[in-house]
Parts: sequence; structure tokens; C-alpha cells
Amino acid sequence: MAVPVPWACCAVLAAAAAVVYAQRHSPHETPHVQYERLGSDVTLPCGTANWDAAVTWRVNGTDLAPDLLNGSQLVLRGLELGHSGLYACFHRDSWHLRHQVLLNVGLPPREPVLSCRSNTYPKGFYCSWHLPTPTYIPNTFNVTVLHGSKIMVCEKDPALKNRCHIRYMHLFSTVKYKVSISVSNALGHNATAITFDEFTIVKPDPPENVVARPVPSNPRRLEVTWQTPSTWPDPESFPLKFFLRYRPLILDQWQHVELSDGTAHTITDAYAGKEYIIQVAAKDNEIGTWSDWSVAAHATPWTEEPRHLTTEAQAPETTASTTSSLAPPPTTKICDPGELGSGGGPSAPFFISVLVTLALAAAAAAAAASSLLI
Amino acid sequence: MDLRAGDSWGMLACLCTVLWHLPAVPALNRTGDPGPGPSIQKTYDLTRYLEHQLRSLAGTYLNYLGPPFNEPDFNPPRLGAETLPRATVDLEVWRSLNDRLRLTQNYEAYSHLLCYLRGLNRQAATAELRRSLAHFCTSLQGLLGSIAGVMAALGYPLPQPLPGTEPTWTPGPAHSDFLQKMDDFWLLKELQTWLWRSAKDFNRLKKKMQPPAAAVTLHLEAHGF
Repeated sequence: MAVPVPWACCAVLAAAAAVVYAQRHSPHETPHVQYERLGSDVTLPCGTANWDAAVTWRVNGTDLAPDLLNGSQLVLRGLELGHSGLYACFHRDSWHLRHQVLLNVGLPPREPVLSCRSNTYPKGFYCSWHLPTPTYIPNTFNVTVLHGSKIMVCEKDPALKNRCHIRYMHLFSTVKYKVSISVSNALGHNATAITFDEFTIVKPDPPENVVARPVPSNPRRLEVTWQTPSTWPDPESFPLKFFLRYRPLILDQWQHVELSDGTAHTITDAYAGKEYIIQVAAKDNEIGTWSDWSVAAHATPWTEEPRHLTTEAQAPETTASTTSSLAPPPTTKICDPGELGSGGGPSAPFFISVLVTLALAAAAAAAAASSLLI
Repeated sequence: MDLRAGDSWGMLACLCTVLWHLPAVPALNRTGDPGPGPSIQKTYDLTRYLEHQLRSLAGTYLNYLGPPFNEPDFNPPRLGAETLPRATVDLEVWRSLNDRLRLTQNYEAYSHLLCYLRGLNRQAATAELRRSLAHFCTSLQGLLGSIAGVMAALGYPLPQPLPGTEPTWTPGPAHSDFLQKMDDFWLLKELQTWLWRSAKDFNRLKKKMQPPAAAVTLHLEAHGF
């Protein structure tokens, strides 16, 4: 009767001792995370093991050579990015996992690059930043915006993680804005700041939907239309002016036209039959800088359908219609050399005079273009 | 891309002609009066001309004041210069200003600024600076006249300065040299900002006037320039 009780007691005690032993000697559930600098040397101890304990180290499941060991510690020299990984040390005989280290090799942050821009004047502006060189480890950024002595809120962009938005409270302010950013990671810290006036950072987005179309019966014209950028909130009160540039694909020199209002323009000096590339930029009428160039539009001016020789050899009634097609349509300039030579086979001297006129026109256009270019 | 040079020179050439004809502004009824539109346009053009002129004047003057005033990052707190008319305004308030108030605010601001600027001129050290300042003051006087013309065309009374509130240039008591320079700095800054604001103000007025009031012809009267 008395005999089973002490045996049960011993069993319980043994179990308890086993649990305690296991808890004291099993590794942490999550490995220890460690950040080290690229190029540096690091010594990883095997948890709480003695220096002379017999251990084996593995990285990401692969054994490491014992010559890297200093006792039970792992020594890594001249850290490279490839050294990043999960390091684990095991008791050599029992293969019992003693310690794990998640090593991340990286760099402290360099000075961040910060810029701010208002493409939604007068609603607000945004600031964006980046690091000039990667750190290879996670960084946190902290942005503060000061208007004089007043702190303004910079709301994080929902999509881009290196951008935040500020709403203008007052317009026409003489006090500068100061935007500061600090970046830090496990290996270091850096910061920078910029100051600017409300007006200097205004830069609209490029015009949208630039479309160039040939004009029927006008071999030297192209009609260009575009829309004000959709991000510009109030084109009525804050009108934009536009800058158009165009050139035939075969030439390098651009022609420029500045337009103080309206979202359409007709090019009247296009070379007949040549494909053109056209772009538009926008700027607030008074303040800020020009937008980037829009997406390019391509177009070729209207050319008359070539007539077959058999058509001309037909009866007089067709000759009459051919003659009438030679007269320039009323909407075009009378002395526009490009209008001539349409329809019918041009005679040789006529063709030469057209060539000469075109060459002169090209020379004049080149001269005009070079004087317009800034 | 920087297109400022070509942009401004073309405008300057055009505006010099505008200024030359400035005294003729009130006599528009000769040409069968299209309403206040053209004089609003002229006022707008003047603000642009003045803004351009101020850029070079301010550069010269700030160099004369010396550092830190001529440093691009100079960002002092707005202390003193309390009596300067401030261009800054809440966005919604600015948008909803009625025409009369908009014009009045512009007129009063430039009256004050002109007065301060004349005071600056009295104290400027070099003859060249005084010449530039005097020229600018004349142009600013022209702008005031132009605004007055628009107000008259629209039937608004010119704001009369209340006795005692007219700003007079008195050297402040024990005003240190540095503080004096700070005041000069803020005057030029405020002037620049007002000119930017006025361009927007007059642009807004221009847009509002655009469909011309059909059967109403306004007769502009010469208001003694």
C-alpha cells in the first residue's frame, strides 16, 4: 500500500526536472536579430555556451568550416552582403540547437535627397525623398514641415512610401517653408533640410491627351490639341500658359511656340508629307517653373492621294476637273509653295521651282527656329 | 528648362509701350469703350512689369544690405514690420473676395508700400540705388493710378486714408542698424509677394469681366493723374 506512492512521486519529480532542464537549455523561439556593417568583422558567440564548448555552426542549414571558429564563437571577417543569413550553433555531439542569429549586413544611411513640388497650386505641395545609395537594411524616415514657427502636418501618400503631402493654409505668404527629414536604421542616422518660398516650387504636371491631327486639304498644317493637367485644381483662377515644340522626325532642331491661353494650336509651316513629333509643356502664368514635356504626339500633314497616269489620258471632262483641283482652296495662303504641285504630273520646270521654293522655305524655317530657341 | 529670359524680354518690350500710353488710360471712352476689361489687362501687365523690375532692384538692394540679407536661404522670423500690409490670406477668403474688396486691398497695400519705399529711398546710400528706387517708385505710382482707374470704371470709391493712420516714415526710436535692415528686407519681400498676388487678383477680375456686360457701356472719366 505504501510502496506505489513514493514511485509516483519520483515520476512526477523526474518529469518536472526534465521540463526545467529543457526550458533552461532550449534556444529562443525567435532568433536574435543582429545588424552589422558591411566590411566590418563580427564575432558571434554561441549563446551562453562556454568558450571551450564543442559546437558546430551552420548558416541557412549549411555547415561552416571549423577554421572560422574561435572556440565556440564564430568569427566573420570583412562582411559582405552574402554573409546575411540565419546562423545557428549546435552542440557538436547531441546536435542540440543552442543559439540562432539572424545576421543582416548593411550600411548606415547617407544624407537623404529631399525635394518638394507643388503641382496642385494653390491646394498644396508634396515632398519626396530617397537615399542616394542603398543601405540593404530597413530604414525609417521622419519628415517635419515648418512654416515659420508653425508645424504643419505632412500626410503620407497612400501609394508611395517615400512621399507625403502638405496642404496650404495660407496663400501669398512671405514666410519660407522648411522641410526636414531624418533617416535612421540599426547602423546609423542622417538628416537634411530644405527651405523655400511658396512660389518657387510650383511646377505643374505636363499637359494631357496631346493629339495632333492633319488638316484636310492643307498639306502644311497640323492641328494640335491638349488638355490642362488634371492635377491642376483651378485653371480658371490660376491659368496656365503653354509651350509647344515640334519637329519633323528627320530633323533635330525643334520649333517653339509659346501660347498664353487656349489648349489648341495650328502649326502652319510643317514640311509636306513629313512625320512630326509634337510635345507641350505647361506653366502657371506668373509663378514657378515649366512642367516636364508631355507625352509626344505624332502626325503627318495631309497629302493628296496620288493620281494614276491613266486618269489624265481620259476624255476632256476629266481634264476640266483636274484643272479645277490645281486652283488652291480658298482657306490656304495663295503663295504657300506647298499647295502647288498637287494633282496631275508636274512638268519638269515646275517641279524644279517647287524644289527651290521648298529649299528656301527650309532655310528660312531653320533661321527662324534658331532665333526662337532659347 | 529655363525660359525666363525670352519670356520677360518680349513682355518688357510690349509693356514699355503700355507704360508710355499710361496717361491715356482714363480716356478710353474715345474708342467706343469696351468696359473696364482693357484697363484691368493693363493693370495686370503693369504688375508683371513691376515684378520683373523688382527682381533686379531687390537683388541690388539686398547686396547693398550685405549678408545675411542677400543669402538665398535667409529665413528670419517675421518680427517687427507690423505695419506692413500683408499679402498673405486664407485661400477660401481670397477666393470669395468681392471685386470691390479685392481692388481696395490692392490699392491700400500699394499706397502704404509706396510710402515706405519712398522712405527707403531717402536713406539709401548710393546714388545708383536712389535712382533705381526712384524709377521703381514712379512705376509703382503708375500701378496705383491704374488700379484707381479700374475702381473708377467699376464705380467704386477710392479708399480715403483716415487721418492719423497714414503711414509716415519716421526713423524708429533707437532703431538699431540691423533692425532697420530687417525692416527693409521685409518691405522688399512683401512688395514682391504683393505683386505676385496682384497678378492673380487681376487675372481673376479679368476672367469675371470677360463676358462683357451687354448693353451697359461705362464711361471712363479722367481722374486727374
